[in-house]
Amino acid sequence: MLELKNLRLSYGSTQILNGVDLSVRRGDVVSIIGPSGTGKTTLLKCINYLVKPASGTITFDQIRMDYQRVDKAAIQAIRCRTAMVFQQFNVFKNMTVIQNVMDPLVVVQRKSKDEARQIALQELERVGLSAKQDSYPSQLSGGQLQRTGIARALAVRPDVMLFDEPTSSLDPELVGEVLKVIKDVASSGITSLLVTHEMQFARSISNRIVFMDKGIVAADGSPTEIFDTPSSPRLAQFLNSEHTHN
Amino acid sequence: MIPELLSALPLTLAIMFVALLAGFCLALVATTFRVRRVPVISQLADLYVSYARSVPVVLQLFVAFYGLPVLAGLFGVPDFLSATAASMLGLSLYHGGYLSEVMRPAYLAVDRGQHDAADSLGYSFRQKIFRVVGPQTIHIALPGYGNSLIYMIHNVALVMYIGAADVMATAHLIMERDYNQYQFQTYLVLAVIYSAMCLIVWLAVRFFERRSSMYVPNAAPIKTTLMASA
Repeated sequence: MLELKNLRLSYGSTQILNGVDLSVRRGDVVSIIGPSGTGKTTLLKCINYLVKPASGTITFDQIRMDYQRVDKAAIQAIRCRTAMVFQQFNVFKNMTVIQNVMDPLVVVQRKSKDEARQIALQELERVGLSAKQDSYPSQLSGGQLQRTGIARALAVRPDVMLFDEPTSSLDPELVGEVLKVIKDVASSGITSLLVTHEMQFARSISNRIVFMDKGIVAADGSPTEIFDTPSSPRLAQFLNSEHTHN
Repeated sequence: MIPELLSALPLTLAIMFVALLAGFCLALVATTFRVRRVPVISQLADLYVSYARSVPVVLQLFVAFYGLPVLAGLFGVPDFLSATAASMLGLSLYHGGYLSEVMRPAYLAVDRGQHDAADSLGYSFRQKIFRVVGPQTIHIALPGYGNSLIYMIHNVALVMYIGAADVMATAHLIMERDYNQYQFQTYLVLAVIYSAMCLIVWLAVRFFERRSSMYVPNAAPIKTTLMASA
């Protein structure tokens, strides 16, 4: 359903994406792993055009776009069918928890307030934040902020969820509550792409692991293939170092 | 003395309100162009802002009162500007430029992630500004805006140099008429009038600051000192 071809991007003389190809089938839960600075987050942000690649194409069901020719309608269509969960949460600071979840439904999807409220309540229940619905982000913990971000993303009923290192800026104690919610999302059948450094977690929820290194997809396979029989020395070395850190 | 001074207040307030309102609109337009980097127009907006911020306000008033009619004369337009109109125009231009440099940093201080989140959810630029970034910008800009309002109140006193009959000009008329007997008393009344205006502005700004203090992390009740602010 989602196919990226030959994505290239550089900042100055630093090549970030060096011709990335990636295709995702409906229902896939793909974890993207790899060393820092290899373009994992950048790749994810290219999908909804928060980052503009220099060249490449994206196919999202019927939507096709060549990144060299900006097509605003295509970008908008893709943005409306995907939802992103950010490393820094990016919960709207001027709105309460429930307003955060309702606002995109009212503003972008033009639903009535009542309908939006119902959906929002349902999603907040799902992430366990019903009791905090009227709190402002400044009153919440990191874990609660990220669960708000996830509820907001789920509420738009996306075809694809994009998780960008959702637990990387959380205190170790709070990681668990967020991972639990993500696991629940992944097992509900929503197509998901997850950039993460939580190897055990990636293994347990994904049906595919993509290993990125130096701006390309260096390995792509089932969790067993990637973790148990790494195809290259570089991958083995990376997994090894992650293992020692954890 | 006091009734005479107060009779000049409506004109003073009129100049002030026109300048505040027009200046605000000018600042919005200038800031929009400056943050969106529209070629040529953005550079012109930059030039305008640096004029408004770097030329003394008195000089800006002279430019409005003596300069513009000369410019208009080149195109065959007769002198149309009264002292009051020139005051309004000059102060609007000053306030707009000054305020733009309050708005622009406030806009830029809104976390990039807030833009990303709104974009990723499919908000249009307008929706993003009105729903998410704008309210946060206002919160950040409020203290600076409060200051610029107070500068504005003080700078209205300069319009007497181009002959507009505000409270300051009226005070001088009164003093001269009374052979400068009551100079100190007159200035004292004047000081009270200006302080009252600043106090009202300060209370209004504080009200809005408190209202939006929930947006900031670890929101502590905002503490403000009366003397320092007014």
